[in-house]
Amino acid sequence: MIRISRIAVPLLSFLMAGAANAAQPVTPQGLTGTWDRYSNETLDPRVTAVIPVPPPPLKPKYLAEWQAQQQAAKDADARGEPLFGGYAKCLPDGMPTMMMAMFPMEVLQTPGQITIIEEAYNQVRRIYMNEKQLAIDDAEPGFWGHSVGHMEGDTLVVNTVGIKEEVRFRGAPHSPNMQIDERIRMLTKDIFEDEVRVTDPEYLTGPWKFTWKYVRKPGYKILEYVCEANREYQDPQTGGIRMRIGVPGSGSSAPPAAAPKP
Amino acid sequence: MISDNNSGAAGSHQLEEEFAGMSSFMSRTTRLALAGLLLAGASAQAHHSFAMFDHDHQIKISGTVTHFQWTNPHVYIDLDVPSDQGDLKHYTIECANPGILDRIGWKFNMIKVGDKITTIIAPLRTGEPGGLLKQVTLADGRKFENGGPAGKPNIQ
Repeated sequence: MIRISRIAVPLLSFLMAGAANAAQPVTPQGLTGTWDRYSNETLDPRVTAVIPVPPPPLKPKYLAEWQAQQQAAKDADARGEPLFGGYAKCLPDGMPTMMMAMFPMEVLQTPGQITIIEEAYNQVRRIYMNEKQLAIDDAEPGFWGHSVGHMEGDTLVVNTVGIKEEVRFRGAPHSPNMQIDERIRMLTKDIFEDEVRVTDPEYLTGPWKFTWKYVRKPGYKILEYVCEANREYQDPQTGGIRMRIGVPGSGSSAPPAAAPKP
Repeated sequence: MISDNNSGAAGSHQLEEEFAGMSSFMSRTTRLALAGLLLAGASAQAHHSFAMFDHDHQIKISGTVTHFQWTNPHVYIDLDVPSDQGDLKHYTIECANPGILDRIGWKFNMIKVGDKITTIIAPLRTGEPGGLLKQVTLADGRKFENGGPAGKPNIQ
């Protein structure tokens, strides 16, 4: 009897696991649609509030540098000369910042692929389902990287590699070996969460973990977003952001000049 | 017409929006304080900063629209404003982006060249004739603000 159990139990478990796998959904149910980031205005009593993203767990030498940069940005703001950054340059967020969903976001599910479109800067990321991830050396660095996903029960598990070193979340430096792991699941039929885990053995002491949540925005149609004719520019003297007065190219545009002091 | 106002608190709406999801049970003040203390620097890098505008000293200006630019990442209103000396001073007013403005009821063609409008702006700290829109009153009397991140007017 004991001998039979030793064989039968694992066999039964194996068969049951196989059956469970066969029944797993190909993609999360209900993820298609338009979404807003979850905030206190949209708080649902069934779902806990979003916890702010903690500082990156950078190794000491990088942390000091990062803190100095944060302080410099703060000081520049206090002086009224904010630093010239990605948005003023018309550059998109890239990953993982894009998933912050500054503006509404659309998720599309098609066979073998989940596509996420963020309204801000027309950002698009594609998650290839049930494909093998590329070796880091084969993943061409980009803003959104190369993402593959698979289902674990009701959770969409995504791995992303190939983020350009210049593309930084919260200004945190990273190496080409950075990986972003996400666990995406529906919390209610109208709220889903994205548990993000950033790892980078070169820069981080451990995983940088945070969770974003999203609430359905029924009927919303994503707008186009082309970053054009931005009148903010980099002051050649201070390096900070300035705003051009007048319509560029109309003759009424004031040329960039040294900042007059008020 | 230009009028000054020296009262009111600086808008921290950018931070407020960034951390709005923290908890519905926290007071607005607590959220703002936490946001400011913990992650002001991080937020400044993650979001567009409005620090080049003086949110404490908002002014009201009225004039004639010379250009209305409906683009990302910012919408702009160009305005010729009569000065006390009788000549015209050209102002450029930065607004949020079409998406934010659409979602609070603006329309891409609701402001036209030649329209007489009144605006409340947070002026540029450099003293140049420009600022961030807080509120616009259209020729037909309708009033629009500039969306959450840009903050509210603190004068009337």
